[in-house]
Amino acid sequence: MAVARKLYYENVRVGDELQPLLKPALDRVAIARYAAASDDFNPNHVDEDYARRSGFPGVFAHGSMAMGFLGQLCSEWVRAGQVKRLSARFVKIIWPGDQLTCRGRVVEKRREGGEYYVDLELWVENQKGELVVKGNATTRLFHSPEDEDRQRRGLSPLIVEDDLRPSLVEVFERELPRIEVPPRPAAKSTSRSRSRLVAEEEPLPAAKAPPARTAAKTATARGAKGASARKK
Amino acid sequence: MLDKGMVGRRSEPVVNEVEKGAVRRFAQALGITDEVHYDEKAAEAAGLRGLLAPLTFPITFRSSIDLREALALGQRGLLHADQSFEYFRPICAGDRIQVVAVIAEVSERAGATGPMDVVVVEDEGRDEQGHLVYRGRKTLIVRPAPREA
Repeated sequence: MAVARKLYYENVRVGDELQPLLKPALDRVAIARYAAASDDFNPNHVDEDYARRSGFPGVFAHGSMAMGFLGQLCSEWVRAGQVKRLSARFVKIIWPGDQLTCRGRVVEKRREGGEYYVDLELWVENQKGELVVKGNATTRLFHSPEDEDRQRRGLSPLIVEDDLRPSLVEVFERELPRIEVPPRPAAKSTSRSRSRLVAEEEPLPAAKAPPARTAAKTATARGAKGASARKK
Repeated sequence: MLDKGMVGRRSEPVVNEVEKGAVRRFAQALGITDEVHYDEKAAEAAGLRGLLAPLTFPITFRSSIDLREALALGQRGLLHADQSFEYFRPICAGDRIQVVAVIAEVSERAGATGPMDVVVVEDEGRDEQGHLVYRGRKTLIVRPAPREA
């Protein structure tokens, strides 16, 4: 196996599609092998005569086999992340000879405390493009390499408000030097954050506040949230 | 109509040992090639205690509920309609998981060819320290008995 690059929450976008997983055409041997591996010998999957007498044209695959393929799709996508939940509804019977394609898409990103979750919509299609299994999953990822590093060292997770926040902080930091520019006597308090920052800048350099230092100080004052923005 | 009196029946805990060979065969049956399911060194390098069980591996776990007997199904067949799993930590070879199952629902739903009996079974597995490892829920459709051979 090639060494997979890690997947982080900050790089995932709602609407992202998972790399489709194409499975080889299923045959009766593959179904029997799965019956043995899952210890599920429901005769509908292995006994042609029984399946016919039960009103089916013949044996068919276990629904959970296709769910297993969806699990594979999720695991390959999430890599070192965790799958927290996996659900599947078996919509259509999967017959020997069917060639399945597993697909998925990111439908939601959310933070709960210091944990970052990505919800996926999943489905399996047969060679005719028919929906055979419908599913969904919840995965948990580290926000970023920095978050992973913190947690692996036993520190608190990185808290980033939401997807918009880092860019707002970036804008704020970009605007900051402009706000800081006026020499002290002319400084007018137009916002709380600004007056606080001016107060922190004691003693204020005569000419111009160095933007880099100001940004760093803001980040410190704002805690972990700023830290992530600073990293960018 | 099935006996709804069985709803809430909880099985005695049964220990399911996660065996290396079973993990490998399960991964192989699904065509999963990731080495963490086959090679202990690869699993260790990934920070795992043993070979990683594929996500749907808990499908293989057994509880002490015998649905056929509990619901007096006789020759009637069962069809798996849906399944979900919630995971609290990865399941690895070497784990000893105590599984308890409960019949969560017995009902009749409208099917394409008239009403059908539906059974919902929930299960959960705990490790030897009693920590929750996974929770599962499946819906089974009860099918008519096959024609005589």
